[in-house]
Amino acid sequence: MRALDNPFRSDRQLGLRYRLTEAEWRSLLVRLGALGRRAALVGPQGSGKTTLLRDLGARLEISGFAVTRIQLNEANPGIPQRVWLELAWGPRAFVLLDGAERLGRLGWLAFSIATRRANGVVITTHEPRRLPTLAECSTSPELLADLVEELLCSRPDWLDATCRDLFAKHNGNMRDALRELYDRFASTRGYPRMHTNHHEYSEIS
Amino acid sequence: MGTLRIETAKGKVAFEPGASLSGTASWTVAGTPRSAELRLIWYTRGKGTPDASIVDSVSFVTPRASDSRSFSFALPLGPYSFSGKLISLVWALELVVEPGPDVERFDLVLGPSGSEVLIGGAEAAHEGAR
Repeated sequence: MRALDNPFRSDRQLGLRYRLTEAEWRSLLVRLGALGRRAALVGPQGSGKTTLLRDLGARLEISGFAVTRIQLNEANPGIPQRVWLELAWGPRAFVLLDGAERLGRLGWLAFSIATRRANGVVITTHEPRRLPTLAECSTSPELLADLVEELLCSRPDWLDATCRDLFAKHNGNMRDALRELYDRFASTRGYPRMHTNHHEYSEIS
Repeated sequence: MGTLRIETAKGKVAFEPGASLSGTASWTVAGTPRSAELRLIWYTRGKGTPDASIVDSVSFVTPRASDSRSFSFALPLGPYSFSGKLISLVWALELVVEPGPDVERFDLVLGPSGSEVLIGGAEAAHEGAR
């Protein structure tokens, strides 16, 4: 299968939203205010912290906040110099830091000082520390099945059993499970013609 | 939400490297646009982080709320449109009318004999891309 036709390609995964109802969003934002707008999204790898942080950022922007996004990962393990300058001297913003566990003790101290004047700070981290927990992200085989259904735009027979297996194999890491599905689909051939909102798949197992 | 449309001359979607690409961009939006631009771009899709590049663009002067403009681009020699199992590179025209969320994209094929290059055993799902 061409990468372009793969329903699990990365841009489609990035289009998935965190599953919260409007009432849950309101509750989350109220809790964020109650925590003094300094809080953490906590959960293991692939549990949706980054997705929730991204969606939270969009909500904050709609509410009129300027948002500064910082993403730390293997490729970008440290906060760039220009971002430090922006935090210290730029307009006051809501700072969203994804991957806070990558900051060492000194890095975290510097970040805490640099964001004192920020309108708010939300971080993602694997362990509940550094900031009070705003939300704990967790996953389930049923959630994986729902996400796969959304990407496939259908609910094939194999979906539930496959998602249970993948969930167990990847210890609940949704990202890794979806990547494996990408690889499985990439190895298949001869799928029916694909349309934006209607796919039919039958060869996966 | 407005209506944006891109049409190529004779409805052509596949082109050889260096060929001329012409057509018409038209739109109908709620108010007078601040700007209207047609971009010739390529983008990638696949397992990794999506990438994209604007290769050429044309800004339409004093766009009206309902308007239609002709365009012409000289296509570059590459990169070719290609697909493997891990990544696809797609050429496209992108019409952006601001302010507003209105964007229209029209995918193209740029390659030898006007065909997408399939690599690594990737199978085209679209019959027309074979």
